[in-house]
Amino acid sequence: METHNIIIKKGLDVPLPGIPEQHTVDLRSIDLYAVKPADVVGFTPRLSVAEGDTVEAGQPLVVDKRDPRLFLPSPVGGTVHAIVRGDKRKLLEVIVKHGNTGYAGSCSDTRQLSPESPVWWMLRERPFGSIADPDHKPKGIFVSLRDTNPLAPDLDYALKGREHEFEAGVKALETFGEVHCVKAEGPHPAGNVGTQIAAISPISKGECVWTVNAQDVANIGRWMLTGQYRPERVVAVGGPAAKAPKYYRLSVGACLKLITDVQLMDTSYPSLTSSTSLNSSTRIISGSPLSGTTVAPDGFLGMYDQQVSLIPEGDQYEFMGWLMPGLKKFSFSRTFLSGMVRDLTPKPLRRLAADSCPLTADFNTNLHGSVRPFLFTGSFERVFPFDIYPLQLIKACIVGDVELQEQLGIYEVEPEDFALCEFIDPSKTEIQTLIREALEVLRKEAIA
Amino acid sequence: MMNMKWLEQWFEKIEPKGKWSWLGSTYEAFHTFAFTPKAVTRAGAHIRDAVDMKRSIIIVVIALIPALLFGMWNIGYQTAMNTDADWNWFYMWWFGFLRMLPLIAVSYIVGLAIEFAFAQYRGHEVNEGFLATGLLIPMIVPVTTPLWQLALAVAFAVIIGKEVFGGSGMNFLNPALVARAFLFFAYPTHMSGDKVWIAADLWGSDAIAGATPMGELAAGAMPTASALDMLIGTIPGSTCETSVIAIALGAILLLFTGIASWRIMLSVFLGGGAMGLLFNAIGYNDYMQLPFYYHFLMGGFAFGAVFMATDPVTAAQTNCGKWIYGLLIGSFAVLLRVCNPAYPEGMMLSILLMNCLAPLIDHCVVARNIKRRASRTSLTSTTSTDRKEAHNG
Repeated sequence: METHNIIIKKGLDVPLPGIPEQHTVDLRSIDLYAVKPADVVGFTPRLSVAEGDTVEAGQPLVVDKRDPRLFLPSPVGGTVHAIVRGDKRKLLEVIVKHGNTGYAGSCSDTRQLSPESPVWWMLRERPFGSIADPDHKPKGIFVSLRDTNPLAPDLDYALKGREHEFEAGVKALETFGEVHCVKAEGPHPAGNVGTQIAAISPISKGECVWTVNAQDVANIGRWMLTGQYRPERVVAVGGPAAKAPKYYRLSVGACLKLITDVQLMDTSYPSLTSSTSLNSSTRIISGSPLSGTTVAPDGFLGMYDQQVSLIPEGDQYEFMGWLMPGLKKFSFSRTFLSGMVRDLTPKPLRRLAADSCPLTADFNTNLHGSVRPFLFTGSFERVFPFDIYPLQLIKACIVGDVELQEQLGIYEVEPEDFALCEFIDPSKTEIQTLIREALEVLRKEAIA
Repeated sequence: MMNMKWLEQWFEKIEPKGKWSWLGSTYEAFHTFAFTPKAVTRAGAHIRDAVDMKRSIIIVVIALIPALLFGMWNIGYQTAMNTDADWNWFYMWWFGFLRMLPLIAVSYIVGLAIEFAFAQYRGHEVNEGFLATGLLIPMIVPVTTPLWQLALAVAFAVIIGKEVFGGSGMNFLNPALVARAFLFFAYPTHMSGDKVWIAADLWGSDAIAGATPMGELAAGAMPTASALDMLIGTIPGSTCETSVIAIALGAILLLFTGIASWRIMLSVFLGGGAMGLLFNAIGYNDYMQLPFYYHFLMGGFAFGAVFMATDPVTAAQTNCGKWIYGLLIGSFAVLLRVCNPAYPEGMMLSILLMNCLAPLIDHCVVARNIKRRASRTSLTSTTSTDRKEAHNG
């Protein structure tokens, strides 16, 4: 294992209120769990169970059609409660009701991490962010030891007490390549594994690296040590709409209903007391507010997510919003009074000023404008710590020029790496969607 | 704050549907002017920065206001000085205000009408960009410009300079400078010489003789105005581009808000200064011996550097490219001024020329990045084969 300490300068920490307090509630007793094949890029699911079947923890629920060695296991033992399909009968969720406590797989002492292991799906491969292909030889396996997303969990805290499991996980991964554990200093996206790969050993065409979430390394280690598939994560639940932001210890794929019930019991918070608030609903996001997935209040934690963000919906008009001083608006630019005050305050005083005079911005899901062509340049570069021209790459994605995308370095990025560009973009373009679509085209070409 | 519920409801009630749905663009323009839309994010980043295109453009418009207000006063001041009229400062300003108002009105009405028509025809939104362009155009023409000429220039700039390429964000020439260049080449007698810079009276396009410092230099004389006059801006010239101090106020806002690129602005002055010093060293004639900082104070150099060269659509888009682009604009502007007396003002032509070159500059800068990446790929592929060979050996 190689440990890296790197410093990233470019980026932005979005000051979202509702940072979780370091107090963990154990909710491993939740009874419903879901496996979501759509979260696993490159996985074409074929069901291997039916509703009502009894399953053990670690037993395959869905198998990949392309590579039958790959499968997504049931996180708990119990019965298959429901199979949820979407448009065109796309398999969205396989829901398991927690029953017995059986574990599939051998309990012998000679365990080896392989595609047949129930923990294999936790390995992801770049380029494309797909499930790791066992036939590929990664040039390295990257684990980020710090998550810099807004409201993200403190991984040192989340992994407390699991150090030996983490070590066992790293040891298991080392059979496939060198494991790089990276602790990055600096603003978001310093903690994104993509940023760290770009800083240490950027991916060129034809190469691949694997990435694993730090908490999943510990889950792999636990499986290696005990032979039991008991994947769990300490999940940070926070955001402006959260009543009591804190951590929850959950098994992977847990139903969020209990948490949202508690956190959203009282939906009154300052920005909704204004006269224009008719719809007081809250968006529940599995994952980061910058790149996560919207889920229903009784939805499930995403396969790779370690945070749940509760953000008020912003479906309200604002009269002459473009002309207002904007003391309560957050902008990376200094086009609003809030940004001017922020940046005119001397650095040592900023903390103090933020504490004594709460100019906390109102964050919600409003787009804050309408979609326009790209006009302004130069701001993406300030939050994009890659040796890549972001605007040029985005434009190559818009026009669908595959060759140019390759030349400009699309293999080095994932949609989440563009999350901050999308956040600060005054033209309100859906950049992450563009990158994902471009990558999917390339991935399908690579398979064919 | 005022309760605007009634207006919200009125807008929702009048939303064009059915046979009126073709009016969507116009409706969207007015609706989003009154209200920031209630549209929420759908995917990706669930939260967004508060800044949008309207906010960004309005910052440019605000940055123009010091130069605009001073320019209005200077119009009156120049007329008063040259007619020995005994006006107080407010009347001077009021005189200039009344002279500027028709120019601004014509520019906005003609330009926005075309913008709305194109947006409507193409079925896209009306872009905010013209709010800045429409104010820039009357600020860089002589005060005596006939309104019909201005209207023609605006129409030319919007249609040929912008819309034929697909509208805002797709144009490669700065529309305001296209308008200025159109006037300059189509009606040269109204755009240069001694008899266009000072309005004779409140109405009409009669002018009083009065040369700009650049005009005097082109005629082979040294400027009569002092450097201080040029810094403050109490000299004849295009309506709102004479005062370097008023322009600097706008520049501070643009740079502080980050709307304009400091790289471009700084490098234009660096390029101009370097070329000025080079001519000082040659010192072949009076114009070459002119102290280099005079170039910053005279004509449209400062205004062009702050408001025109920094137009993000037509400038270079890479950070490295912005340095090159700015240096070339500055040095070319001074080169044209000194070496080509046929065109007293080189800034406009210099910026338009570099607008054309900006994509090439960016191409070269990006090509370096591409080359670096490609060499990394070939490097890694050779090392991996080396490793394989070593392994086999």
